[in-house]
Amino acid sequence: MRSVLKRELIINFKNLMIWSLSVGAMGLACILLYQSMEGDMKEMADAFSNMGAFSDAFGMSTLSIATLKGYFATEIGAVHGLGSGMFAAILAISIISKEEEGHSGEFLFSLPLSRTEILAAKALCIAIMLVAFTVICTAFYAIGFMMLDEAIPEEFYTFMMRQLLMNAEIAGICFGLSSLAGKNRIGLGLGMALMFYAYDVMGRVIPDMKDYLFVGPYSFANASEIFIGEDTPVKAIALAVVVLVLGVSYGFWNYNRRDLAS
Amino acid sequence: MKENVIEIRNLTKSYGKSRGVIDVSLSVKAGDIFGFLGPNGAGKSTTIRSMLGFLKINSGDIKILGMDSVRDHERILKEVGYMPSEAWFYDSMKVGDVIKYAADVRGGDYSKEAEKICERLKLDTGKRIKQLSLGNRKKVSIVCAMQHKPKIFIFDEPTSGLDPLIQKKFFELINEYVDEGATCLLSTHVLSEVDKYCRTAAIMREGRLTMLDTPHIDDETFLSFYEDEATTDSLLKEA
Repeated sequence: MRSVLKRELIINFKNLMIWSLSVGAMGLACILLYQSMEGDMKEMADAFSNMGAFSDAFGMSTLSIATLKGYFATEIGAVHGLGSGMFAAILAISIISKEEEGHSGEFLFSLPLSRTEILAAKALCIAIMLVAFTVICTAFYAIGFMMLDEAIPEEFYTFMMRQLLMNAEIAGICFGLSSLAGKNRIGLGLGMALMFYAYDVMGRVIPDMKDYLFVGPYSFANASEIFIGEDTPVKAIALAVVVLVLGVSYGFWNYNRRDLAS
Repeated sequence: MKENVIEIRNLTKSYGKSRGVIDVSLSVKAGDIFGFLGPNGAGKSTTIRSMLGFLKINSGDIKILGMDSVRDHERILKEVGYMPSEAWFYDSMKVGDVIKYAADVRGGDYSKEAEKICERLKLDTGKRIKQLSLGNRKKVSIVCAMQHKPKIFIFDEPTSGLDPLIQKKFFELINEYVDEGATCLLSTHVLSEVDKYCRTAAIMREGRLTMLDTPHIDDETFLSFYEDEATTDSLLKEA
């Protein structure tokens, strides 16, 4: 199992670097831009906070983008949420199906390992990749705060942890889908990440949807809510854990019961 | 009397409404080189893939080295060297890394044996998989199947894509391992291979298996399996 895990980590390392460096560097660049925009931010903050549903959707009605904390929550929070969700989806949706898609399954499954062991190695690889992604991005953002001589807000770490859970939930769903026979489904994974994001934005704009917002993975990882210190959304987090467990369990169950394509 | 190392009883496997194999029974004795003939789609690969646990069988019983193919799946794979008909690996990996990877998963150091086989098959271990032709990818597959000196070899159309010299060397290697006590199940379309190297043989057609009295059958009988069932039956009776 260790050999399979090692190979998965090596194969996915390039992807991790591309995504984490891109998202992290983009976030860092945005943080650094804050200094040059600081003077104009007050007027912009007033304008942005009075844009009705749009301001609500992006948290600009509750947080002022004239402060670095508010700017981070509304701008970098969105960039990180979208980027990390897409990375989690792409990584997990192909992790199992690529063996049949690339016809390497017959080689891998002729080695003396159970399907459960192989899947456990793959699931562990996803977990390591998501943690590494979060750590790299955290480092980038922390460097940004330090470069601007600003203290890192307490809520920053809560935000990154919730984002990690949100990524894990998306990855769990995609892991389950990856166990289905057939072609690689990167398009489906990406589409799902974007759909979850869009659902969250819509849920914050449309009042009737507010009660159902907790269903989406982005609901409990919303930067604006975390940075204004709203209560922990226990219901949404509990649901995320359940969905994560169900997605991963389905992946194992389905892959153990079905024929392998040649 | 030698014991059966492969024993299949009443194996049936279907793919939804499509036929796979029907009520296949087969036994292979230790030290045998067993020829497994049949046209495309006859069910040879389905039988092999069922033996290795890639497919979930509908009914029947498969025992390899006395172990149950479902319950003792990993233990069986430790003792088996399998070469699929299509030799696919991870494109970005080097040949040497693929061979080492297979050895690592098996939990052993088979580098000396692997080196010996690579040398005999003239396989360059420094190249990446994506740079290899089909024949060279088949060579990688042969090394992965043989390096751990398994008790049973299962080869699915192993010589397609190999040049005649490498084919000869491949069979030399098989004979050497069989002389040391291994058993080989060879699925092939090539009658001359069965005639020359196999000691027993069976032929599959439309999901059903017929044991042959001898692996040395003539071309006409062999080709009849590629034709309609009535012709086959009459020719088999004559043979």
